[in-house]
Amino acid sequence: MTTDTIARPEQRPAPRRRERASSHRQTRATTVTGLLLLAPAIIAVLGLAIIPILLVARNSFAESNVYGGITGGFTLENYAHLLDPVYAKVLGYSLGMALLNTVVCLAVGYVVSYYIVSRPPTRQSLLLLLIIVPFWIDFLVRTFAWISVLGRGGPVFGVLDALGVDTAQLSLVPSQGAVVMGLLYAFLPTAIFPIYASMRAIDPSVKEAAADLGCGWWQTHFRVLMPLSSTGIVAAAMLTFIPTLGVFVIPVLLGGGKDQLVGNLIVTLYTEFRNQPMGAAVSMMLLVLMLLAMAVAGLIARRGRKKVA
Amino acid sequence: MDRVTSWIARLVLVFLYVPIVAVIVYSFNAASGGYRWTGFSFRWYGELFGDTALLQTLATSAVVGVLAASVATVIGLLAAIGLVRYPVKGSGVVLGAIVLPLIVPEIVLGVALLSVFSFLHVPLGILTLVLGHLIITLPLTTLIMVGAFRTLDPSLIEAAADLGCTPWRTFTRVLFPLMRSSIIAAWLLAFTVSLGNIVISTFVSGVGSTTMPLRVYSLLKSGLTPELNALGTLLIVLTFVVVLSVGIQQMRRILASPSGPAPAPERTTAPR
Amino acid sequence: MKRTALIAVAAVAALGLSACSSGSGGSSAASTQLNIYAWADEIPKSVIAAFEKETGITVTVDTFDANETMISKLAAGSAGYDIVEPSQYAVQQLVGQDLVEKLDHSKITGLDNLGKKFADPSYDPGNEYSVPWIWGTTGLAYNEKCTGKAIDSWDALWDPAYKGKIYMLDNMLSAYIPALQVNGLKATSTSEKDIEKATQSLLDQKPLLAGYNSSNYSDLLASGDACVAEAYGGSAIAKVTAANPDVKFVIPKEGGTLWVDGFAVAKGAPHADAAYKWLNFTLRPEIAAMATNDGGSATANDAAKADITDKTMLESVAVYPTDEQLKDSEFIVDPGKALQYFQQGWTKVKAS
Repeated sequence: MTTDTIARPEQRPAPRRRERASSHRQTRATTVTGLLLLAPAIIAVLGLAIIPILLVARNSFAESNVYGGITGGFTLENYAHLLDPVYAKVLGYSLGMALLNTVVCLAVGYVVSYYIVSRPPTRQSLLLLLIIVPFWIDFLVRTFAWISVLGRGGPVFGVLDALGVDTAQLSLVPSQGAVVMGLLYAFLPTAIFPIYASMRAIDPSVKEAAADLGCGWWQTHFRVLMPLSSTGIVAAAMLTFIPTLGVFVIPVLLGGGKDQLVGNLIVTLYTEFRNQPMGAAVSMMLLVLMLLAMAVAGLIARRGRKKVA
Repeated sequence: MDRVTSWIARLVLVFLYVPIVAVIVYSFNAASGGYRWTGFSFRWYGELFGDTALLQTLATSAVVGVLAASVATVIGLLAAIGLVRYPVKGSGVVLGAIVLPLIVPEIVLGVALLSVFSFLHVPLGILTLVLGHLIITLPLTTLIMVGAFRTLDPSLIEAAADLGCTPWRTFTRVLFPLMRSSIIAAWLLAFTVSLGNIVISTFVSGVGSTTMPLRVYSLLKSGLTPELNALGTLLIVLTFVVVLSVGIQQMRRILASPSGPAPAPERTTAPR
Repeated sequence: MKRTALIAVAAVAALGLSACSSGSGGSSAASTQLNIYAWADEIPKSVIAAFEKETGITVTVDTFDANETMISKLAAGSAGYDIVEPSQYAVQQLVGQDLVEKLDHSKITGLDNLGKKFADPSYDPGNEYSVPWIWGTTGLAYNEKCTGKAIDSWDALWDPAYKGKIYMLDNMLSAYIPALQVNGLKATSTSEKDIEKATQSLLDQKPLLAGYNSSNYSDLLASGDACVAEAYGGSAIAKVTAANPDVKFVIPKEGGTLWVDGFAVAKGAPHADAAYKWLNFTLRPEIAAMATNDGGSATANDAAKADITDKTMLESVAVYPTDEQLKDSEFIVDPGKALQYFQQGWTKVKAS
């Protein structure tokens, strides 16, 4: 009885054999259906992503004139410039910040998703709405609100002063801490929603079964719930890590603009430095790096799934 | 421990609303900038209603947001079903391609899209804005729904098929109700991302189709006016009014789905 | 029958041709639309309303956050704008990338209303491509309560006494202005050695800096979070100094610099005739004066000074510095090939 309620197909040996037999019969039909379902996505991606990216790739080998235009030609100079150690520093800082943000967002996102899933269904949608509505207020307005809350004339300093803390040299904003907090704030919905979507699909009796079988709280989470919602967690990680690299407003407004992230670098290259080809080169490098990372992550995930079976 | 997580979650919700409370409070601040409180005033609400340019951009943002989110959710749902239920050779590559726009920095993608649109003589406007927003929200919706779908118990679908449901009926009677919350979550997130998008919008917007965050961003040099706080406050108040007026009862009817795969007693009809 | 058919075909062809020609930019018919791409808050609503009333042309104004965004957008594709409002150095870039039309001076009246500084400026000799609209300076803003004394030199941005409360503008060319001038060099220098010296100054300054900020530095000064900041002179800082007597704006003794935002006609503008109407309209003294009266900015139009209603504006350093205060100020122009030295320096500074 209890085995039926576990959601993982790999843990049910009998149907797999049946599946294989039937899937043989339906292969062509399944392929056609599959392709049809994927068609709109493929068209959209081809026209709106692949072709522009090919353009960017082409530009990364182009030359730029002093006024910022792109003048055809072919040169590897842009990539050669990337070998300058200064760029390694920017990349290192960005990767570190992205990793930190992802870990923090995943931790907080997981806890919040778990909380929401444990509420009655109507409450869940309400909570989702509650979480998302603040983000309909313009991003800059929210960021400046944080600046006024954390700034010298704001309530936090007011409380600290009342408590007698010496605030003369204290600066909450701009600061590295403010950047981390700002990033967490900005990416919370993107971390919560995918994990929630995955957790939602888990049969609630799984949790009961785990408890029945003697799992403690931590074990239930680490051995049962997390692996089951792993697709959602991985999705949340991807949706947090990669875009954090491209962020450029938060480090400027909340961090004082003293530390450059890759996002700042690319925007500067495109605008102030009028060097689109070099900006394109940095983007292509980032792209290749991320694709490699995703491929590696995919391999690990596949091996992990085989292990569960 | 569950109690601890509940409290952490509630704290996070409070954290989410700290700047919102600040926005609401400052929308009534008589001072025109800075954070000193100089007195209560409705002045910014008056200025907001007189600022037709800003309200126009709000309308544009809303329209683009709804369109982009809806299209992205539909395409993402179809793709998710395709990727999980009917995997073809190379599905991994397709998923990677869908996620690709996430990896490209927005300014790079924005400029490239503009070049492509310009080459094809596509007139810039709502259409190009929707297309631009579509490509960056598609990864979100697809990933969310793949995540939900993959965690779903596939035996439910098989059971429905075994009981004689056509694929279409399986979709409408079994799949859709189970995925409903995830679909809504995906749509909400896509809409939010579209509403807040600045960089891609800068390049693919046409004359007169400025979105709201674009307008606000261009005010950075001259200073954000507090009427934006008034706008934010109204937005929050409006949403809560709508939610409350629709009522908990209505929401229960609209949004209720069985909590995940049906608990054991309801599955007595499934074959063993 | 054949004759009527022929006449019918000829009529349709004629209609078709005329439809085609009017679609391609209104060469015969006058335009009823004007598309402007400008800085936010620099064209007062009153100016647009007056223009619309007088000419019946509907004006759409889109706004950008920085010159570079505007240039990137124009360069990447035909964005459909008629009038753009670049800053002075951006004019040179637009000309270099062939994104703006050469102005036909025979169609423009009122260019002699412009102040001496702005007629035939270094960045656009003969005003061949742009018509200046408003101008301002890049100078020093400080909170007197915080500094304890009056400030008059870029030195203050390097003063360790204000450590952690110093802000510089987050713009490469703007940040190099104090760095060059504090070393006694010209802000318009293109010498590699000069730029290297300035870069070293910026590197020395970074540990003392609270941040690079081009947006809310005036709020930070008002609250005391900042003591000194490099600031753009203009309507934004003028408002703050008026509201907060502790905050002051000065042109440093090393000179500071001038900026000018003007109108140019985008290449391939769909409503070129409306664009010229706009140029003529804004050159009128009573209209140019609205930039000050309603917008709080300094107009480049000398003849307009008589129409300015709030005379205190004419005395405000933040809006209308005197020629005496400006004697060492210059326009920042496009550095041309020297840009690479600035870039190398700026990248080093930002990464340090």
